[in-house]
Amino acid sequence: MDTVIYNPKPSYFMYSNVNQQGNDQAVDMRNNNQPPASQASTSHSSESAGDPCGPGKWAARLLRDCAKALSEKDSSRIHHLLWMLNELASAYGDCEQKLASHFSQALFCKATEMGELCFNTLSSVAERSRSFESARKMILKFQEVSPWTTFGHVASNGAILEALDGESKLHIIDISNTFCTQWPTLLEALATRNDETPRLKLTVVTTVSMERSVMKEIRQRMEKFARLMGVPFEFHVVSELYRLAELTKEELGVQDDEAVAVNCIGALRRINVKDRDAVVHMLHTLGPKVVTVVEEEADFTSSMDDFVKCFDECLRFYALFFEMLEESFLPTSNERLMLERECSRSILSVLACDEGDGGSCSTEESERRERGRQWCDRLKEAFSPVGFSDDVVDDVRALLKRYRAGWSLVLPQGDDDSGLYLTWKEEPVVWASAWKP
Amino acid sequence: MLEKMAGEEITSSATTQDTVVGSNPPPVVKKKRNLPGNPDPDAEVIALSPKTLMATNRFLCEICGKGFQRDQNLQLHRRGHNLPWKLKQRTSKEPRKRVYVCPEKTCVHHHPSRALGDLTGIKKHFCRKHGEKKWKCEKCSKRYAVQSDWKAHSKTCGTREYRCDCGTLFSRRDSFITHRAFCDALAEETARITAASNIHNVTAGNINYHFLGTSSARPNMVQHFSPVFKPIQSSNDGAIDQSRPGLSLWMNQGSQSSQALMNNNLPELHQIGSAGLGTLFATDPLISSCSNIPSQMDYPVNWDFGNKLSSTNTGELTSTSLPLTNLKEVGSPRFSSAPSLYSTQHHHNQLPPPIMSATALLQKAAAIGSTWNEPSFLESFGVKCNNSQVVQDGNKYNGLFAPNSVPTNLTTDLENSASDLSSMNNQLQMYPRKRQNTQKDDTEGGQTRDFLGVGVHQTICPSTINGWI
Repeated sequence: MDTVIYNPKPSYFMYSNVNQQGNDQAVDMRNNNQPPASQASTSHSSESAGDPCGPGKWAARLLRDCAKALSEKDSSRIHHLLWMLNELASAYGDCEQKLASHFSQALFCKATEMGELCFNTLSSVAERSRSFESARKMILKFQEVSPWTTFGHVASNGAILEALDGESKLHIIDISNTFCTQWPTLLEALATRNDETPRLKLTVVTTVSMERSVMKEIRQRMEKFARLMGVPFEFHVVSELYRLAELTKEELGVQDDEAVAVNCIGALRRINVKDRDAVVHMLHTLGPKVVTVVEEEADFTSSMDDFVKCFDECLRFYALFFEMLEESFLPTSNERLMLERECSRSILSVLACDEGDGGSCSTEESERRERGRQWCDRLKEAFSPVGFSDDVVDDVRALLKRYRAGWSLVLPQGDDDSGLYLTWKEEPVVWASAWKP
Repeated sequence: MLEKMAGEEITSSATTQDTVVGSNPPPVVKKKRNLPGNPDPDAEVIALSPKTLMATNRFLCEICGKGFQRDQNLQLHRRGHNLPWKLKQRTSKEPRKRVYVCPEKTCVHHHPSRALGDLTGIKKHFCRKHGEKKWKCEKCSKRYAVQSDWKAHSKTCGTREYRCDCGTLFSRRDSFITHRAFCDALAEETARITAASNIHNVTAGNINYHFLGTSSARPNMVQHFSPVFKPIQSSNDGAIDQSRPGLSLWMNQGSQSSQALMNNNLPELHQIGSAGLGTLFATDPLISSCSNIPSQMDYPVNWDFGNKLSSTNTGELTSTSLPLTNLKEVGSPRFSSAPSLYSTQHHHNQLPPPIMSATALLQKAAAIGSTWNEPSFLESFGVKCNNSQVVQDGNKYNGLFAPNSVPTNLTTDLENSASDLSSMNNQLQMYPRKRQNTQKDDTEGGQTRDFLGVGVHQTICPSTINGWI
């Protein structure tokens, strides 16, 4: 049976048969957790390859197979598998179908070397349809149902408040992907916790597209809210994320009498891998009292040259993420769809775009994540870790209690690791840390 | 009776001090409760060391050596010893009123002129301000130094719900705050033109604020409302409502702040809060104490205010109280009359530039019908004010004003007083009824008594009508 695959012509007929069977299989699979295509011959290598997925995870199996075929440049198999995936996948189905959909799109682009093109198309579509309203709805809903982002916010705010306690002129450099949703609670804390309300200057470093689409509204609302809270407030936007490593103190408006905090939530991963150390160094030159870094626990960087390994890690992480989304949101949630689309673009950029000078998606949107431990190594070049105080940890715990079960907090083990980990079903997913020069 | 300490040092020389520094107003003949921090000048000032202050069993029985937390408890206990009549007497001369100073040198209450009259009070104050916060709420990890504060909080933590202007309900404060900051209801700063009903509600609310600002006695807000209202009621032409906008405008003396107050949007009230209301409240520490409510826990209470003010959200709570969050920073507890203070205060405001002319606003205000339904607003507002201890060490100013950095400990007091709401509500019932009566009475007002009713011909300073200024 195996040999049939390698015969191009007949295999097309096989495909249609397989397809029929595949569909039935897929349907049955969902009901009975049977492995898909058990009668088709495509599962030969996946079973033998020490597949870690359970029987219900047909998407992972197929996707991995396809990735392997890609790395082996086995075009007929690639074809075959992609076709199967295309039939089974759906961006509106269950978790498996969604994963199949997004990842197979990335694989397709990789195979046809259309990665950049596809990515740019998707990005421009997204930008056109992005509005403050939609972004706001998405992020606020996400924060309501899941502590994925609020975990980092609470930890960072706690660290910032403690580090800048007693200062009267605060300057926070915010390089985040959460649309400034972190700051209302900080403003409220500044206004109520302290005896004297300090002045706060917030400089947001973002992309040009972000500035064009949502920053104006965000500015308005932040300023208004700060007025309401009674906190003297200034809001600046620097839309030069792509050249973060080269920014200077002057360009960021850092003055000498200010107490500076740098807040990087999901930010460092958007920097080109080769520029990351330079960015760390640049942050050090700003002379901050504290640098808070929050990143997701996934490693797409160290395996940059090994496609299959990178793919596996990518699949592992996003499978977790999609599962989390499925369990947190309502089934018909628009916001969840938006988040998934963003993931789709991210997956595409990691798998199908070359990170190099040639790749155009190596600018602002590439998101090659690194694990907390790896970031620690980078940050230790210029900073030393600051542990989160008990109060902040308690705050985070209290936060997690307000969400559904499944979330937990883990303190790091070992000396070469610092910060806090948010875990979802025992898997660490988000890492938060604080650093001082 | 002297407090007996067992082997503890008292850093007190206060027992020799007969009089408190005479910067206080002389005691009134009628025994009334002094404001906290403005003690009776004849009182004996006691300064205890932190250790002594926090000691639990300071009162010792001379017979058996048993310790008690309170003098009264000790006396009760001594009775049980069947002492001969002579020894039953207190050993010292008749007790003088005692006031206590805070041992913390940097504290305002360290000075005898700002001593607190209650031993329990000074203990709690010391703990709250200068003590370590040992008690922590499990649900929200908020920390308290005084156990009773923590207990009171734990009862209500998590049970509060927060409602935004837009109608969404939140059970979590942090998500509420974040939502609030991004909510559209907050963002309509530039939309100053709205239905007249909005203006009415806003101005009606403003009058409330204003009047509260002028009242200066503590315990019974109710009584103060009526005298304040009387002159206006007698002179106005009819609907209380018409006088209300008039009064607020009048008080504003046509300043730009009147623009702020007359803003139509309820969200505007937030602007007002940050500027105009802040100054109104500057006149009264009581009011500013009320303002501490939102900063701690009372978003829902604030919604009460908003509820009464809004006609657009019938039955829904609105957020007009959010401006009050700024009021915690409102400063000085001076008791100057509202108008004068206000006029000086508002110069410091950075108010948004007026968009409507004062005359236009007056006209609009005149057109407002009467739908004053503040009773509960006043109840809740007055109640909160009643129950708070007015802390004379002031509040911090709104960031727009000159900073005046003295923290208050009202928040915890207010939290503790939450339970008193219902009792106070009853007290305040009389107030709305009073006004409703007068409302009916004055329906035949001539134009001369129309404070603001005509509007068109009225100047911004109708002060001559009721002689307020």
